[in-house]
Amino acid sequence: MRRLLDGLYAASGALAAAFVLAIAVLVMAQVTLNVVDRAATLVTGTAIGLTIPSYSDFTGFFLAAASFLALAHTLRRGDHIRVTLVTGRLPARTRRAVEVLAVGVALVVTVLLAWYVGDLVLESHEYGDMSSGMVAVPIWIPQLFVAIGTIVLAVALADELVGLLRGRTPSWEAAGDPTTPSGEDR
Amino acid sequence: MSEGILAALVLLLLFVFLGAGIWVAFSLLLVGGVAMLLFTDAPVGQVLATTLWGHANSWALAALPLFIWMGEILFRSKLSDDLFEGLAPWLGRLPGRLLHVNVFGCGLFAAVSGSSAATAATVGKLSVPELTRRGYPERMVLGTLAGSATLGLLIPPSIILIVYGVATEQSIARLFMAGVLPGLMLVALFAGYVVVWSLLNPAAVPNEGEALPLRERLHRSRRLIPVLLLILGVIGSIYTGIASPTDAAAVGVALALVLAWHSGSLDRHTFAEGLMGATRTSCMIAFILAGAAFLTVAMGFTGIPRMLATWIGAFELSTLSLLLALTAFFIVMGCFLDGISVVVLTASVIMPLVNDAGIDPLWFGIYLVIVVEMSQITPPVGFNLFVLQSLTGRDILVVSRAALPFFALMLLALVLIIQVPGIVTFLPGRM
Repeated sequence: MRRLLDGLYAASGALAAAFVLAIAVLVMAQVTLNVVDRAATLVTGTAIGLTIPSYSDFTGFFLAAASFLALAHTLRRGDHIRVTLVTGRLPARTRRAVEVLAVGVALVVTVLLAWYVGDLVLESHEYGDMSSGMVAVPIWIPQLFVAIGTIVLAVALADELVGLLRGRTPSWEAAGDPTTPSGEDR
Repeated sequence: MSEGILAALVLLLLFVFLGAGIWVAFSLLLVGGVAMLLFTDAPVGQVLATTLWGHANSWALAALPLFIWMGEILFRSKLSDDLFEGLAPWLGRLPGRLLHVNVFGCGLFAAVSGSSAATAATVGKLSVPELTRRGYPERMVLGTLAGSATLGLLIPPSIILIVYGVATEQSIARLFMAGVLPGLMLVALFAGYVVVWSLLNPAAVPNEGEALPLRERLHRSRRLIPVLLLILGVIGSIYTGIASPTDAAAVGVALALVLAWHSGSLDRHTFAEGLMGATRTSCMIAFILAGAAFLTVAMGFTGIPRMLATWIGAFELSTLSLLLALTAFFIVMGCFLDGISVVVLTASVIMPLVNDAGIDPLWFGIYLVIVVEMSQITPPVGFNLFVLQSLTGRDILVVSRAALPFFALMLLALVLIIQVPGIVTFLPGRM
C-alpha cells in the first residue's frame, strides 16, 4: 500500500515535469519557426507563415496539467508555502493538534475541489465543448488532468492525515531543508 | 449585522486561517468560498471550478515554470564561479573592492533569474566563503549580499512581476521593462553606499590591490560573455517585441542548458533535479494564483474592495499620503507573509483603491515589488534571511541587522520613484 501510494505521487509529479518539458519544447519549436520565417522574409521578401497550429492553446493546457499534477508531490516535499510563525512556537502537542486541523481543512477543500472539477469535466464531455483554436480539442481532455491532479492531492492529504493521527511525522517535515534555493521567495 | 462588519470579519478569517498554518493557497480558496456563501446565491462550486480552470490554463503564465527552470539550471551550473572570476579583476581599485562582487554579481544574476532566493544562493555560494577568507568585514559581506540579492525580484525576468501581471491583467512584457531602470538605480545606490562606507572605514577593507594589466583583465572577464549574451537575448528580445515573455523564457531555458552543458555541469542528474525543482516551485505559485483568482471573483461578489476604496476615498488623502500609508501597511504585512501572498492579496482586495486614486497600475507594480524586496530582508519572515542563515550559519537577527542599511536604501529608492515616476515608465513607454 505504502509503495503504491508513493508510486502514485511520484508518477503524477513526473508527468507534471514532462508537461513542463513539453512547454519548453513546444514554445522553442515555435520560436525556431519564427526565426526561419524572418530569415525567409529577408531572402525572398515574403513570409512563409510557419506556425504550429494552436500552439498557445496547447501551452496553456500543458501548464494547467503540470500545475495540478504536481500538487501532491509539491505538498510532500514541503514546497507549498504556509505561515509557520505562530504554529512553530506552539508546544509540541498543541502543534500536532493544529497540524491535524490544518491537514483536515485542506483535505475537505480538496475533496470539494475534486468534486466540482470532476463535475466540470463531465459537463464539458456531455456538451461536447471544444477549444476555440485552429486545432479544436475536446476541452474535457485537458481538464481531465486537472481533475486527476486534485484527486491525487486529496489522496495525499488523506494519507498524511491518517499518518498524523497514527503519530507519524508529516512528509513535509521529513523532507526537511526548507531553503532549497529553487525559484520562489517564501 | 452591517455589511461592513461582515466584510471585516471575512478578512479577519483570512488571517486566522493563515496564522493556523493552513497553506496559503487553501486559505485563499477557503475565504473565497466563505465570502461567496455569505454574500451571494451564486453557485460556489461551479464558479470555483471554472475560475480554477480558466486561470490555470494560460499562455502568459507559461513563462513562470520556464523562467524558474532557467534559474534552476544556472544555479546548478558554474555560473557563480564565472561571476566572481569575471568581476573581481575590475573591482580592485574601487573603494570597497570585492564587496562590489556581491552587488554587481547579484545585479547580473538577477537579469537571468526571477527570484531573490536563487540570486542570494547562487552569488553567495562562492562570494561569502571567498570574501570571509580574504578578511572582509562580515557585516558588510552579509549586508551587501542580502540587500543586492533582492534585485532578483525587480530586474527582469521576475517571478513576482509575472504573478502581479497575471493577477492584475497587466502586460508582463511592459512590467519587465518597467523594472529595468529602477533595478539599475538600486545597483547604483548599493554600490554607492559601499563606496561611501569604505571611504569612511578605510581600515576595514583588506588591501589587496592586485594591479592587473588591461589585457589580463579582459582575458579574465571572458567568462562573463555567456551570461551577458543570455541577458541580451532574453531582455533584448522582449524589449524589441520580437518575443513575448513566454517565448523569451523558452529561449532562455535552451541557452541556459547549452551554457551548463558547455561548462560540464549538465548531466542526467542535474537536469532532472532542476526540472523537478522548477515543476514544484511553479506548481506552488500557480496554485496560489488559482486560489487568488477565486478570491478575487468572490471579493467582486462581496463588494469588499469597493467598500474599502470608498471608505479610504472619503478621507481624501493625497496620493503621497496614500502611498505612505500603503507602504507602512505592506511593510507590516511583509513581516509575516511572503512576497507572493502580499502581491496576490493586493490584487484581490486593494487594486480598486489604487485605480480610484489614479495611480498607474504599471508603476504600482514596480512600487509594490520594491516594498516586497524590503520585506525579504526584514525579520521574522524574510526569505533572503533564511537563505543567508543556511549559507553562513549566522543567526537571522545578525543577518537582518547587517542588511538594515540596504533596507534604508530601498526606502530611498521608493521616494525617488514617487518623485520621478519616469524612472519606471520611461522604458515601457518607448516599447
